Amino acid sequence: MKNGKGSRGRSGASDRGGIRKRGATARVDREGDLMMDAGSTRNRGKKARGDSGRSSGAGRTQAANKAMDAIQKAISSNTDSQANIRQGGRGSGLEQVIVRGWKQSKAASNRDGGLESLIAFLEKKLSSPDSKAGTRARITKSRVEGDALIVSIRPELLDRMLQINGFSFAGAPLTTEKYDRSMSGMLDQPMLSGVAQNGSSSSAAETKAKMTTILGRRYTQQTKLLDLSKLGTDPDLLSMGIFGSTSTESKFFPALMKVWELNFDNATARREAVESVSLAHNQLANITAVTTLAQTIPDLKNLDLSNNDFKDAQSLIGWRWKFRNLEFLDLSNTPFSADPTFKDTMLKWYPKLRFLNNVEVRTAEELAAQKKTPIPVQAPYFQDEGQIAENFVRAFFAGYDNDRSDLLSGVYDNHSTFTLNVNTSAPRAQQTEPAPWDPYIKKSRNLLKISHLPARMSRTYTGVEKIRDLWTSLPATRHPDIAAHPEEWLIECYPIPGLPDASGQSTTGVGGLLIMVHGKFDEINGTKVETRSFDRTFILGPGGGMGGIRVISDILCLRAYGGHEAWAPEGLPAVPQAAPPVAPQAAPQTVAVPGAPEGYGMPAPGKADTQVQQEQLVLQMSSTTRMTLQYSEMALSGNGWNMEAALKNFGELKAQGTLPPEAFLPAV
Amino acid sequence: MAPPSEDTLTKVSTDAACEFVQSFYPALENNRSTIGSFYSQPPSMILFNGNAVADGAAVQEIFVNQMSPTHYEVQSFDCQIINRAYPTPTSTGVKLPTETTLKDMSILVIVSGYVRFGESRDLPQRGFSETFVLVPNPTADGPKGKRKREWLIQTQNFRLVV
Repeated sequence: MKNGKGSRGRSGASDRGGIRKRGATARVDREGDLMMDAGSTRNRGKKARGDSGRSSGAGRTQAANKAMDAIQKAISSNTDSQANIRQGGRGSGLEQVIVRGWKQSKAASNRDGGLESLIAFLEKKLSSPDSKAGTRARITKSRVEGDALIVSIRPELLDRMLQINGFSFAGAPLTTEKYDRSMSGMLDQPMLSGVAQNGSSSSAAETKAKMTTILGRRYTQQTKLLDLSKLGTDPDLLSMGIFGSTSTESKFFPALMKVWELNFDNATARREAVESVSLAHNQLANITAVTTLAQTIPDLKNLDLSNNDFKDAQSLIGWRWKFRNLEFLDLSNTPFSADPTFKDTMLKWYPKLRFLNNVEVRTAEELAAQKKTPIPVQAPYFQDEGQIAENFVRAFFAGYDNDRSDLLSGVYDNHSTFTLNVNTSAPRAQQTEPAPWDPYIKKSRNLLKISHLPARMSRTYTGVEKIRDLWTSLPATRHPDIAAHPEEWLIECYPIPGLPDASGQSTTGVGGLLIMVHGKFDEINGTKVETRSFDRTFILGPGGGMGGIRVISDILCLRAYGGHEAWAPEGLPAVPQAAPPVAPQAAPQTVAVPGAPEGYGMPAPGKADTQVQQEQLVLQMSSTTRMTLQYSEMALSGNGWNMEAALKNFGELKAQGTLPPEAFLPAV
Repeated sequence: MAPPSEDTLTKVSTDAACEFVQSFYPALENNRSTIGSFYSQPPSMILFNGNAVADGAAVQEIFVNQMSPTHYEVQSFDCQIINRAYPTPTSTGVKLPTETTLKDMSILVIVSGYVRFGESRDLPQRGFSETFVLVPNPTADGPKGKRKREWLIQTQNFRLVV
């Protein structure tokens, strides 16, 4: 688990490490329960001493409380975000201010919890009225801790920031107060001494071990179910003294989620481990105590919240934009489910919801119809000339990943133009925050934002040398292999007329190719890998480059990862979680399998469509299983050309060891 | 005549792209009877999600008669000059490079944003990417008093990408 930098936007979603510090200031949620406040935290040390000799239950509670603090601390002290926030705060002399109240604003129901508009609001209020346009105050860093937004600003803005206290933001009054580091330092002390004196670091390890055991007992791998129901009567939790005080309770769930996260090496494994969670029978009046579930397991399909005390939609509002893949939701035996707006609200909140309180509320057909666009999604349009575009695209992305300079020398000339633009707010495929755009944003020529002519000019890169300088400065990339992962690409191409003639001979323009590519790439930044999506359009004309072509235009749009489901053609049998049954028509597909005859999987005059489709399935099967075409075809035809069934069959045979060696392609 | 300077060319091309983006998407939303007027005759290619559409009139027909209310949000766009001496058609053929003016250029435009099919704001936002080539409107400087679009769509390719 590797947290990102504590930059704006990211911090709220994933960097929830600093639970301990949340105690730094008094807070009570709307219902006034479950949230610890400064008083109880600060008094904790004294109380423990004063109460020594009281019931062992209270003592256990304190010990458990400390242990969970220690877990939080141990975990959070390793995260980048914490280190960065602290260093940033001290090193650069920025001031930190706590902003509260925005969770009650109308903006809180925005997709991002209202953060973007809140920060824009604050920046606007911070900018002095007489300052020139362009010298607008900036909030350079921010992070969310519970209902607090902690922003870093230049010291000269501090007074103005504190004056914002009491301002109304989207219908709710804000409070601003200076983030007092000594306060958090003070809070650190009892804990540190506690660790030293009572050896509660070992008790932290013990608590962690206990939690791991409890999680293990409550997790079923086969059904991918994490059963967190009836926590209040769990004997192990009771013996740990978790529910002895509200402060322990409020820390318990986030700590439990942290321990859960530690079970996984990477986010993907974590995402895939759980499909269902039950939080039934937990006396929850709102989701405040358990809200971290949405960060830890964002892709849940089934969620059981039945037999709790949720009164209305407001008590679940924090999950309004979470769990975008939720299909099954149970709120039976909660006061909210008797509300006349209950069903409509939940249908509205969760676009993929199919069952609510065990009743079907959307049929599969309705869901499909909803997904269907007025313009049906067809396979890519690919009208190449002599495989020019196919060869170009294949060579381009390999070259862009491995040797950009060489690529430039090969097909770019002194009239080639490259520009890039960043769509920082594009829709995303998952509820993850996109990686920051720092490496690109100063080069972005998004004409919506870059309105000054000099900037528009300086962000246009014409000629091999200028493009080379730029490309050298851009992060290293890795695009997926087109042949091995055709579903991750959408490549379209057709001829266009009226291009400039490099030779100067034609007065009426020359013909060339317009190529549009959509896909994704991994960006490698040291040990960090970020996935982004891109749209890239090329215009190729005749020229002196390799293969007699030149790149006239290369225009790149970068955006947050958006998946590839959007271009999977409609009307084909849906294979759950598998690649589209018919691979995109883009020809590079054919190189996937050594020994594939020329034209295999490609349409040809006189060749039936079903044959083309079957050949494409065979290619896909072969590239997934590394079986030969012959065996792949046998596997598919033996399973009624159902890819899913064929793959399952393959898995079984492979496990039994009944597949002969000659079933497989020679190892590469 | 001295060749136009780089800043003039950049200004003309980016102004054209801005003007186009700011008029075309609103037209798709609530001025659908004008959609046909955005296209050159004949266009080179029009694609929506891989479906080829014959011409501007056909696009307009689809939007007027078949499309639910649709909201487009352009979030990023950019352009490049493709041909600084685009052979704009004339009554006698096409303009020769010696006859072309500053505005005889073709422009590549790429747009990124989201679209919502249907009226409710709660419907999903679908990411799209769209590529256009704009060419000069040969009849833009026609009869006086009737302002026409300076740039027309030579080719268009719309794709849902999220």
